[in-house]
Amino acid sequence: MHWIRYSFREAGRALWRQRGTAALSVLTIGAAILVLGGFLLASVTLDRAMARWSAAAEFSIYLRDDITPDQRSAINRMLTGSPLVASRDYVSREEALKRFTRDFPDLAAGLSGTAQSPLPASIELRLKPQRADAAAVDALAREMRPAAGVSDVRFDRRWLERLARMAAAIQWVGWGLGAVLLLAAALTVATVVRLSLHARRDEVEVMQLMGAPLGLLRGPLVVEGILQGGLGAALALVVLGAAFAVGQHQLAADLGAILDPSLVAFLPPSLWAALVAGGMVVGGLGGVLAARHVR
Amino acid sequence: MYGRGVYALRDVSLTIAKSDFVFLTGPSGAGKSTLLRLLLRQEVPTGGTVAVGGHDLARLSLRQVQRYRRTLGFVFQDFKLMPDRTVQENVGLVSRVLGETSVQQQRRVYQVLKWVGLQHRMNAYPVELSGGEQQRVAIARALVNEPSLILADEPTGNLDPDLSLEIMNLFRDINARGTTVLVATHDRELIRRVARRTITLDHGRVVEAG
Repeated sequence: MHWIRYSFREAGRALWRQRGTAALSVLTIGAAILVLGGFLLASVTLDRAMARWSAAAEFSIYLRDDITPDQRSAINRMLTGSPLVASRDYVSREEALKRFTRDFPDLAAGLSGTAQSPLPASIELRLKPQRADAAAVDALAREMRPAAGVSDVRFDRRWLERLARMAAAIQWVGWGLGAVLLLAAALTVATVVRLSLHARRDEVEVMQLMGAPLGLLRGPLVVEGILQGGLGAALALVVLGAAFAVGQHQLAADLGAILDPSLVAFLPPSLWAALVAGGMVVGGLGGVLAARHVR
Repeated sequence: MYGRGVYALRDVSLTIAKSDFVFLTGPSGAGKSTLLRLLLRQEVPTGGTVAVGGHDLARLSLRQVQRYRRTLGFVFQDFKLMPDRTVQENVGLVSRVLGETSVQQQRRVYQVLKWVGLQHRMNAYPVELSGGEQQRVAIARALVNEPSLILADEPTGNLDPDLSLEIMNLFRDINARGTTVLVATHDRELIRRVARRTITLDHGRVVEAG
């Protein structure tokens, strides 16, 4: 236990002694974690939005005007048996016209003279987001299209797929950029810890000659790296949180038009912990690289 | 032997008895520091054997080297005190290596500082001490784990003659308690005044074994 206490005390002392260079190292790790956290925030927000949009996306089955009650029953049975369908609503021709008139009042004027609604009746489905992947939805469409009484099947999925590909690309760019920055941060920490080792060379030599175990000599260096990483990550989270709050406040009006405000939330605590832990691991790695010089 | 056929020490055959007080002398480059480094196991000889207490130092594992060094005390010419630590913390460094509790550390540090006459400067920093006091702190640090062998490399090199004699008297007192003392110095006058066994090296060879 005294090794751990000693390592933390000495690491704290070393950080304070060279607070200028240590600050540089903390800022480097902070910048790397900030970039990674920013991409993570964008990615988490997009994932939330995708899940919501996928759930809300309409899968519409348009019915023929001459559909028989038996054919409708058969279609309902097929939908009841599908694991993809969360709920369904029947939209009559009259209801479809009413919606059209409400959503497109200018165009609706052209339909006002008709005795009967020219729009087809339909069944609108809400799909289960966790099951509604592209292949499953395609399969459902293939199954419904030839059913008796069905005139057409529509699913507004293509733009969601494009969005999913964009989200994946953002994630990859984030991971790649983050990995490069974290590597650079680890090397910066290693250099700073080596400077600290240089400043303590007399002490390390004296302790070596006293027969100090390697753990006691290397421990403070590794802990120094871990503390730098942890501080850098914590700093990055604070900056990211502040930037998020300011951005959310200033862009609320614009974002509100595109996104439901409830979808735009800061990273969950589990990801805070992961980012801080990641920073500590990167810092610790830098410390280990420096500590290897003590033999 | 260093590279390219240059010998730091050659044909050296010496025995130092337990509880002996020995001076190691000779001009600069004679091999005094190399001999101390061999005894500290900072170096291993390219040929021959360096044995302490019957153990061949070259054959010790890393852990055994650590254990062996805990039985030694050493004193440098430039003291090697930590400038940002108090006298108490400098001397307590050894106890920390040994994993002692802070109560044990404080008791032992106080005892040894009292022995070198610096118990009243426990909370001072090295920069606040004179050269002689700094060396006494370094000696206290060497003594704190009650070593069986003390190695000192030019311990009076930075001190005036009166302080040098004072430090040598401390080494004599340490030796009187049964600790083997090996002091490397080129100060012939000091050796004459202390009058102990002297081994003289020149160009890596023993030229006088006392």
